[in-house]
Amino acid sequence: MLSLKNISKYHKAGSLKTTILNNINLDVDAGEFVSIMGPSGSGKSSLLNIIGMLDEPSEGYQYFLNEPVHQLKEKQRSALYKKNIGFVFQAYHLIDELNVYENIETPLLYQDVKAAERKALVADMLDRFQIVGKKDLFPSQLSGGQQQLVGIARALIVTPKLLLADEPTGNLNSKQGDEIMELFSKLNKEGMTIIQVTHSEKNAAYGSRIINLLDGTIESSKNI
Amino acid sequence: MIRNYIKTAFRAFTNNKAYSFLNIFGLAIGIACATLIFLWVEGEVNFDSVNAKKDRLYICRENEKYDSYVLTHSSTPGVMGPAIKAELPGVANVCRTSEDPASLLFSVGNKSVFVSGKYAEASIFSMFTLPFVQGNATSAFAQLRSLVITEKTAKKFFSDYKNVVGKSIRVGNKTDYIISGVIKDLPSNSTLQFEWLMPFKLFYDNSPWLWKWSNYSLSTYVELKPGVNPETINKQLYNYIQRREPTAIGHTFLFSMNDWHLRDSFKDGKMTGGGQIEYIRLFTIIAWIILFIACINFMNLATARSEKRAREVGVRKVLGAEKKSLILQFIAESMFMAFMAAVAAVIIVLLALPAFNTLVRKQLTIGLNNPYHILGLLVITVTCGLIAGSYPSLYLSSFNPIAVLKGLKLKSSGASFVRKGLVVVQFSVSIILIICTVIVYQQIQHVKSRELGFNKNNLIEMNLQGQMSANFNAIKQDLINTGYVENVALSDHAIIYGGNNTNGMAWDGKPPGSTVLISQRYVTPEFFETSGLRVLEGRNLAVTDTGRPIRMLVTKSIEKLMGKGSAVGKTMHYEGDTTKATIVGVVNDYVYGNMYNKPDPVMFFITPPKNAAVMYVRTKEQKDIEKTLTAIQAVMKKDNPAYPFDYRFVDEQFNQMFLSEMLVSKLSRVFAALAILISCLGLFGLAAYTAERRNKEIGIRKVLGASVSSVTALLSKDFLQLVVLSCLVAFPIAYWTMFSWLKGYQYHIKIQWEVFIIAGIAGILIALATISFQSIKAALANPVKSLRSE
Repeated sequence: MLSLKNISKYHKAGSLKTTILNNINLDVDAGEFVSIMGPSGSGKSSLLNIIGMLDEPSEGYQYFLNEPVHQLKEKQRSALYKKNIGFVFQAYHLIDELNVYENIETPLLYQDVKAAERKALVADMLDRFQIVGKKDLFPSQLSGGQQQLVGIARALIVTPKLLLADEPTGNLNSKQGDEIMELFSKLNKEGMTIIQVTHSEKNAAYGSRIINLLDGTIESSKNI
Repeated sequence: MIRNYIKTAFRAFTNNKAYSFLNIFGLAIGIACATLIFLWVEGEVNFDSVNAKKDRLYICRENEKYDSYVLTHSSTPGVMGPAIKAELPGVANVCRTSEDPASLLFSVGNKSVFVSGKYAEASIFSMFTLPFVQGNATSAFAQLRSLVITEKTAKKFFSDYKNVVGKSIRVGNKTDYIISGVIKDLPSNSTLQFEWLMPFKLFYDNSPWLWKWSNYSLSTYVELKPGVNPETINKQLYNYIQRREPTAIGHTFLFSMNDWHLRDSFKDGKMTGGGQIEYIRLFTIIAWIILFIACINFMNLATARSEKRAREVGVRKVLGAEKKSLILQFIAESMFMAFMAAVAAVIIVLLALPAFNTLVRKQLTIGLNNPYHILGLLVITVTCGLIAGSYPSLYLSSFNPIAVLKGLKLKSSGASFVRKGLVVVQFSVSIILIICTVIVYQQIQHVKSRELGFNKNNLIEMNLQGQMSANFNAIKQDLINTGYVENVALSDHAIIYGGNNTNGMAWDGKPPGSTVLISQRYVTPEFFETSGLRVLEGRNLAVTDTGRPIRMLVTKSIEKLMGKGSAVGKTMHYEGDTTKATIVGVVNDYVYGNMYNKPDPVMFFITPPKNAAVMYVRTKEQKDIEKTLTAIQAVMKKDNPAYPFDYRFVDEQFNQMFLSEMLVSKLSRVFAALAILISCLGLFGLAAYTAERRNKEIGIRKVLGASVSSVTALLSKDFLQLVVLSCLVAFPIAYWTMFSWLKGYQYHIKIQWEVFIIAGIAGILIALATISFQSIKAALANPVKSLRSE
């Protein structure tokens, strides 16, 4: 599904060069559930951002669905991730001014989906996550777990091939966190490829593979 | 998509009421202000547009060259009109009218009122658009003693005013005139103004002096045939008078109705392009500047608030939004705000219009049923929305999603630079307006307090009516006996206005080829004491000075023209006439006609009461004005019973001469206040956000021992620097603007540097007052709260 070859990322501030990722090689197949772990500052989020095409590597080759991402133009890249990648954030990042229904609907707007089809898709998604009764509520009226549920629903609305999650349970209590991880696990069993960044051994254990990062390099990679 | 934007905009609006209020209120004031100005501009530009033939109508003007200048006026020879119509093929029609509106006493039953109007040829009805409500144009002047009145005049005299044709009005307590027609009232934006019209023949046949090519005292209006170029007519008119009267110095030309109101300013016989149009341009610019200032508020508040919006931008980008669609979203938001502001502005305009109308002396209406007004409002609103949304949308949509979602501090140096720049623009404009307001006010006060040479205060002017001239001596004695009056005099002209002058005077030692325009006034001997003019040399005129040799008094400037030594004893004569007039005395120069010019020369002759036109009454300064008027009225009622007591104060006439300057002065005051108000709204919002952003810093400083005053100073310092910078920008611009404005006046003030200092201090104080509320509030806040939230 995706392949990273000799990917490096560094910042230059004056004469000081800070390396964030150093010569990363990584292949992820369809249907995998990968957990990226590592201490703070090891480059986990940067790696996830590059995989999600929100950020560009400084060097290296990157392929997604057999497309050479490093050769694509901004527009093509954006079109590629818009259709195929869903994002879930630690801080949920719902839009405060929109209600649950509208938050889930927003990605479809940016893909020019027709109104009737949008309605059907969002209704399906609300149904699937059992949040039909909450569709008119605003993010501030929801608990953290419910907000993250909406965040995941929003990520899935475009039926992505890959789901990226950056510490999806970081802001939740353990019960809510477990529920979210159960959901991920269920999604993975249904065929969704997932890559998550996490600090928690327990959450990492839900995945099929754990990658440990240290100072921008892959220290270990083991299948469970 | 658009619906989603509007929804977000609306919810963002309701979630941030204070912010939205600052934004919308500021913008609404800006739009309301601009709307009022544009309504006024529309009225000015459409001046005289009631006339369907506006593009083909002209008034004849004359250029007369004198030693130091060219005089342009619209008095024409009485015989010229018919000659032009007969001889020049491009001319479709000509209408002659009397020049100054004549104020005549109209009586119906026992009601008597002075009404002003004109004598005009019947062609006036076909050339100008004067719709008849009763009667018709063709038969209006069929009879000699006929009278056309306006609806207003009809209502004044008749209860059954809808049916007055055929009724008669007694004019001047003597002759009855039959009403032959009633026309609609003339709109206030018409140059031609009158309340009645009478056949021109009545006036012309009784005025033999009008029958000559050498006398200029009538208005001549010309209608050209369609497609005729006025320049070809002008070529034929240039020496038109000279062909009949070779020594005449007046060269005739056509002055288009399109320019009557807007571009009536001449120099060296040519249109300067200036006039009212300059004020229209000035105010149009000010309207856009005020709108721009309001838009700046919007931009500043939007970018200052950007940290709150940044996360939303990040999320939307991750969800697949392209920069283009985000720009569209923010533009849509500012459009939404602009439309809310436009609605609020319409309400403000409706509320403010009566006061504004009083201010500009107009009857403007918002006219929302006029599609052009709606279109104009739409253009203003959309322009505001675009300008206000432009920078924020570019700025906000360019956020890097990773950075904002991680909650990194935004590098906002670019935005804060732009923001500071915009604040400087706002305050520069405000300070410029303060300076201009003060200097315009000073200039007007300067001219109004000018030493005129005569005393305009406690001086009452009355038209001579009925028995007033015959009973002059009795009236004078009775008035003085009341104890309220010091002196009474007669004159043939109002003291404050120009009129009746000649360029034909000559004297020994006058340089050959020199042409000097000298005004001539016929007065009674009491005139000088009554008006406050002083006889500097020689003696006053005496009642016995009527015979030969002609004796006269001249003003000081004539004495200077005549060379060294006293003018007393020297003589003057009309060119080509050997009759000499001896100068018996010299009076001081005085200002008349144009209050900004230097005093023009005048010569005074004695007149018997019957040839005078106005009476002057010098009242005692210390007496109550109400009682004085009652006393004068009692005398007039006794000595001139047939006419109502009709009077004017000379100082009021004087004030009337400053209407357009007063308008500029008042409007600039209003605009300055509004610009400052809008700028302060913006500054208030900015200060609030700055205080909020530096919440943590303030908390830390306070924990470390900073006092409230030092924190307040810290927060205020940045803004004050901007205001000081604004002063540096504003001063040269204001100086240059005012310098060129004052150049237009011969009699003007010097610009004082104190004005700039005061304006600068005022700007700083206003800014300080605006931001201190927020600064002190932030400084007083408990640091525990702000630090705990981290």
